[in-house]
Amino acid sequence: MSNIRLNTITKKFGTTDVLKGVDLDIDDKEFVTLVGPSGCGKSTLLRILAGLEQPDEGQVIIDGKNVTSMRPADRNLSMVFQSYALYPHLTIRQNMMTPLKLRDLSTSQRLPLIGPFLARKEYKELFSQVDRTAKILKITELLDRKPGQLSGGQRQRAALGRAMVRNPLAFLMDEPLSNLDAALRVHMRAELTQLHQRLGATFVYVTHDQAEALTMSDRMAVMMHGKILQYGSPEDIYQNPANVEVAKFIGSPAINILSASVNDYAQICIQNLILDLFAPTQEPNITIGARPEHLTFCDDNPTALTGFVQHIENLGADLYYHVKIKDEQRPLIVRSAAGNGKRHQIDDLVHVKFDLNSTLAFAADGTRLQTHRKLMDELAS
Amino acid sequence: MSKSRAHIWFVSPALFLMFVILLLPILVAFGISFTSFSLGNSGAEFVGWKNYEQIFTRSTYEKMFGATFRYVLTVVPLTVALGLGAALLINSLTRFGDLYKTIYFLPVMSALIAMAIVWEFAFHPTIGIINSTLERGCGTFLENWGWYAQGCEKTFPLWLTNRDYAIWTVSFIGVWQGFGFNMVLYLAGLTGIPKELYAAAEMDGAKSGWERFRLITWPMLGPTTVFVVTISFIRSFQVFDMVEAFYPQGGGPSKSVYVMMFAIYEKGIQQNLMGVGAAITVVFLLFVMFLTVMQRWLVERRTHYV
Ligand SMILES: Nc1ncnc2c1ncn2[C@@H]1O[C@H](COP(=O)(O)OP(=O)(O)O)[C@@H](O)[C@H]1O
Ligand SMILES: [Mg+2]
Repeated sequence: MSNIRLNTITKKFGTTDVLKGVDLDIDDKEFVTLVGPSGCGKSTLLRILAGLEQPDEGQVIIDGKNVTSMRPADRNLSMVFQSYALYPHLTIRQNMMTPLKLRDLSTSQRLPLIGPFLARKEYKELFSQVDRTAKILKITELLDRKPGQLSGGQRQRAALGRAMVRNPLAFLMDEPLSNLDAALRVHMRAELTQLHQRLGATFVYVTHDQAEALTMSDRMAVMMHGKILQYGSPEDIYQNPANVEVAKFIGSPAINILSASVNDYAQICIQNLILDLFAPTQEPNITIGARPEHLTFCDDNPTALTGFVQHIENLGADLYYHVKIKDEQRPLIVRSAAGNGKRHQIDDLVHVKFDLNSTLAFAADGTRLQTHRKLMDELAS
Repeated sequence: MSKSRAHIWFVSPALFLMFVILLLPILVAFGISFTSFSLGNSGAEFVGWKNYEQIFTRSTYEKMFGATFRYVLTVVPLTVALGLGAALLINSLTRFGDLYKTIYFLPVMSALIAMAIVWEFAFHPTIGIINSTLERGCGTFLENWGWYAQGCEKTFPLWLTNRDYAIWTVSFIGVWQGFGFNMVLYLAGLTGIPKELYAAAEMDGAKSGWERFRLITWPMLGPTTVFVVTISFIRSFQVFDMVEAFYPQGGGPSKSVYVMMFAIYEKGIQQNLMGVGAAITVVFLLFVMFLTVMQRWLVERRTHYV
């Protein structure tokens, strides 16, 4: 049982505001990801949660208890570091024993040579605990090696093992996969998710990789400039970003952003194209966002944008067309399934239409605008 | 493989210089140690192991080994421990670290010969600051300590000229002079310990500084310690200038400070007994060689983590 609350956490390093009032609520057994570009304060937030760093203001509350001024060792959280931080002079078994020894044994029982002799029963129990954890992680045959003799993936498992061996209230992970190669990273994503289900523990996971956040989390918090911009399920954040920064950060390839205007009938216009989409705003200048999968090729018609194919990315199953639109700086990226209809060539003249149900509109300051398919809806409300 | 001989030409200058500068003098010393050679004397006789026999039987040389080992075995542990302690303390400072580094390193940089004069004054039995400070303490609770009371009654020791105190006084100055060097080595070693390890230890439940030291700092400083200990041994085996400055004649009261380097100098240079001097040199080199081999062995065996 462990829900974690962060209350208006602020943190300064010197004169730079790293965290500017962060609130976060994490439920028991939840897999929560903190995702954001590097330097936005994710690690700092996690370290404050762990107790390795003190917040300037705000509280850390675990299970209703204010632990803000409690030592990390007393919070019973465990952490997996980006560099793994395994003790290089100890074998993996000794590494995994360390947290157990420091917590479960008295000072005299921890003495070298005499300790294991005095507390034979306790040591036996701890060793079997290590063996059980090693079996779950399939690292039994690595237990007698030192970290320097392991590959990156094996070290990662060993670090997980050291974190898991003592049943903590929650697991904190700071970019644990970023030192692995791409294939292993994808594999470990699945394994971590399964591990989360198997352990039924709370996971707080920090990453700069939006794909990891989308694939692994129950809920994700998108952080930028020391603030959480949006907190919600991956689907929600992908489909309903609260502002343009979140929309741009989540999704790959990135969402297409176009400048647009709103006419007197609240209709959204791109260049001289009038969309069948309404936005209730007084501001004339807005931006709209359309993900590559929400754009399709069509025949020439008055609700389609026209441009030239500039570049084609072939990902096997999907093709991403980069379409240059007149007066737009960046090309539109259009996804099309490889088997779908006619293939376009570079320099072909193409017409692109929007999936109006999924097209997003943002005000000039970046906040999300609700859009409606009919003006009637808006008038009625 | 081609049959080019170019590689021989590339390494030969280095090999030649190494041979002439390093190996040849050792071989020559080894050769001389079996003779009764002295400079200016044309006739040198081969005397076999006689020089070595002298070293291991005569009481002068017993004193030499006694003084050397007393000095080495006091100075090495103390300079290593103080160097580590100072490094840990300085490392934990957020301010003034550089100031302390400079202060502790000053004795290392200064010439011992010059410092010896200062210490000689300080330890002077009547006008020296040490004994006059000690005298101030007379009549206070310090007199409960027997040794102190005795000093007040008669006189405080003649630090540098009393045969029971001389070697320890010289060792003290050796510690004062040497620990700053070890401190710098340890400071360098400390910067190589990743900060995340301490964070991991903290998460794992290492609450006290001692636990973190045992778990991380000490083992991670293993390679540094091996190096520091070896260097300290070699440096303290080589102690010479201080002895020469304090006791230009004869190696201190009753030869109690007659360290090896000084013996080599006295025999070989002052008394022109090159054969004996060379023999002591060879014994000295064996000690140093042993230490170096030990160091290599330890580094490769135990403290190598990667
Ligand atoms: N100990 C520190 N001292 C000074 N600045 C720091 C410290 N730790 C982090 N920072 C700064 O705080 C900002 C956020 O860092 P961090 O939380 O590590 O970002 P992230 O993990 O999101 O990449 C960065 O600009 C970084 O330079
Ligand atoms: Mg980080």
